[in-house]
Amino acid sequence: MQNNSIKILLADDDEDDRLFFTEAFEELKIKSSVSTFKNGVLLMEYLNQANCVLPDLLFLDLNMPKKSGIECLKEIKQEQRFKDMVIAIYSTSASEEDIEKTFVLGANIYIKKPNDFGKLKKALSEVVTTNWQYQTNSLNKENFLLRL
Amino acid sequence: MKNTVTYNYRFLKLAFGLDLFIILCIGGFSYKHTQDLKKSVELTKHTYEVNIELKDLLTNIKKTEISERDFIISDDSSFIDNYNRGRIKIAENLKNLDVLTQDNALQQTNLDSLNKAIGQRLFYLSETLEDYKSGNLNSPGFKSSFELGNLKMSSIEKEVEIMMSHEDNILYERKKQSEKALSRTPIILYSVLILTLLLLLVAYAIINRDLKAFKHTNEKLNMFKESASLSEIVSRHGSWTCHIDDETYEFSDNLYRILGEEPQSFESTIENFMTFVHKEDVEKLTAQVERMVVEQNLPFIYYRIIRKDGEIRHLKAYGEAYTNDDGENKLIGTTADITDEVHNFQIIEERNEELERNNKELSAFNYVASHDLQEPLRKIQTFISRLDDKESKNLSEKGKMYMDRIRKAADRMRLLIDDLLQFSRTNRADSVAELTDINIILEEAKQENLEVIVEKKATITYDEFPEIAVIPFQIKQLFINLLGNALKYSKEDVTPHINITYEKVAAKKDVNLHYMPENFYHKISIKDNGIGFEQEYAKKIFTLFNRLHSRDEYSGTGIGLSICKKIMDNHNGLIIAHGKPNEGSTFTVYIPEQLS
Repeated sequence: MQNNSIKILLADDDEDDRLFFTEAFEELKIKSSVSTFKNGVLLMEYLNQANCVLPDLLFLDLNMPKKSGIECLKEIKQEQRFKDMVIAIYSTSASEEDIEKTFVLGANIYIKKPNDFGKLKKALSEVVTTNWQYQTNSLNKENFLLRL
Repeated sequence: MKNTVTYNYRFLKLAFGLDLFIILCIGGFSYKHTQDLKKSVELTKHTYEVNIELKDLLTNIKKTEISERDFIISDDSSFIDNYNRGRIKIAENLKNLDVLTQDNALQQTNLDSLNKAIGQRLFYLSETLEDYKSGNLNSPGFKSSFELGNLKMSSIEKEVEIMMSHEDNILYERKKQSEKALSRTPIILYSVLILTLLLLLVAYAIINRDLKAFKHTNEKLNMFKESASLSEIVSRHGSWTCHIDDETYEFSDNLYRILGEEPQSFESTIENFMTFVHKEDVEKLTAQVERMVVEQNLPFIYYRIIRKDGEIRHLKAYGEAYTNDDGENKLIGTTADITDEVHNFQIIEERNEELERNNKELSAFNYVASHDLQEPLRKIQTFISRLDDKESKNLSEKGKMYMDRIRKAADRMRLLIDDLLQFSRTNRADSVAELTDINIILEEAKQENLEVIVEKKATITYDEFPEIAVIPFQIKQLFINLLGNALKYSKEDVTPHINITYEKVAAKKDVNLHYMPENFYHKISIKDNGIGFEQEYAKKIFTLFNRLHSRDEYSGTGIGLSICKKIMDNHNGLIIAHGKPNEGSTFTVYIPEQLS
């Protein structure tokens, strides 16, 4: 993973957030390719292509038109093909209910969108540099929500 | 009461039976007594008859003797007729005596010897008469016959004497016996009579007492009936009785009034009653009434009636089986007019629905505040941080100052939104109280304020706390806010010191708890040495958005203490503030020992 550039996907209906996201990765100096989708339908269409290169990391906004982040998460977790994909929830709200639900559905981490660009960079860098192979085994609810 | 009456009733039955038996006995005694008297009279009569007959016999013998002597002396043949008649009479006397003494063997024996003596006497009489007729008056035969005859006469008299004295003896003995028996009889009769009278008296006393009790009970019953009928009017219910065996009904006055009719203005039949029942409920009620008669029980049933003026009333009925001492089966029931309750219930239902709607709107508002309002703000803040990082070098000093102002305003808006959200999320409904170690909660609250504590070198001392039933995250928020306030409003030149004390208090002994419902409360006081406040603001500081200082003096939204108040309301507890300017303030919270 370290040698090749990391393939990152983001599904978020908010244009500004997509901008912050891509700009943050540009400034992070991590070899990465970032693709963004406006909603869940477009994301799933992309993933379900037979010849599609699967991402290492998928960032999912929860509140999206047409297909919500939760629905995408459910579909992805049902597909054996996507089992190695690390899924990060990337949402404005951090309600107990959303955290609980996405944790149960099998997301790897929950990020509450920060209100400072510096914090955003810090959060994304932490997620990308985490060794998920190791982290997955000790996954628990206490460290599910990323604390900055 | 009922038992005593039953007991008395049994006693009366017994007394009556006993009295009857005693009177029968008295009758028996009297009859026997009379019989005895009659017997003794007959016996006396018999004795006299025997004695008279014996005397008559003696007289007749003597008369016969005299007649013979008269004939011998006068030779008048008419005397010989007397003589013959005397002999016949003697024979009759003997015959009568034989009959009279038939039942007495001894007297029969005596009579036999008497008979023999009389026979000899009569023989000597006829000897002397023969001697006289043949003229042998001076012959020795006549003389000896005459003397022997006289001798026999005295033995006859002796025999008669024996018989008479024997008869007297018998009479005397029997009299003595019957007198003895008869003398006891009156005493027995008298005492038995007294006993009967006593029994009658006791029975009378009991009946009298029972009658009095019955009268008293009757009066009470009447009063109870009156008050029951009054209470029926007040509480709007009527009562009815169903005689199950013949399916007849009795309705109370107020049942008629509930139907909108004059008391007892129509016959109390189920058919008449059914004419008032709402058409939609007739079937249901009829089925229930039929079941009621069969099963002898009426469960709660709700139905409507329509009064003659068209008013619809809601009724509720209930009945229970009752069997009286005579084995008569009844169903006693109550029918209540619950129209007002139904209406009130409907109003409450409507209000509940409205409240629920309001609550839903509120949570929708919460969502808007938490999500949609935060989103643009978050972006403003992020863009500001972008500008700060990348573009500040292109800005003039004034431009930088404006940027700083914009950032501060955005930060403040963030604070306000967060606090408001915190306030609206502090609800009771979705939180559960659990036994919580307050020491841990307090430690966590300290950690949240750690930055300020370190910065101001503040010291915090506190007592050991027990486990208390609370909503943990809310009490943690309470401590965070109270510690935060104590640290924020510290005096500039004095190191902040916060002292937290705990004690359990009885509501009666704490002046702040006089109107609180529970008996015991946990009292936690948080005392600081900060700037304090005027006591007159002690209540005001808990109201939403209320602040005692301007924003440039101390930051804050005026929501923190309102959250504390709300948290204590959720716990059915109390929060009280005491302040003295320049000396410090004390916040005291009371948490009920039993949190329901």
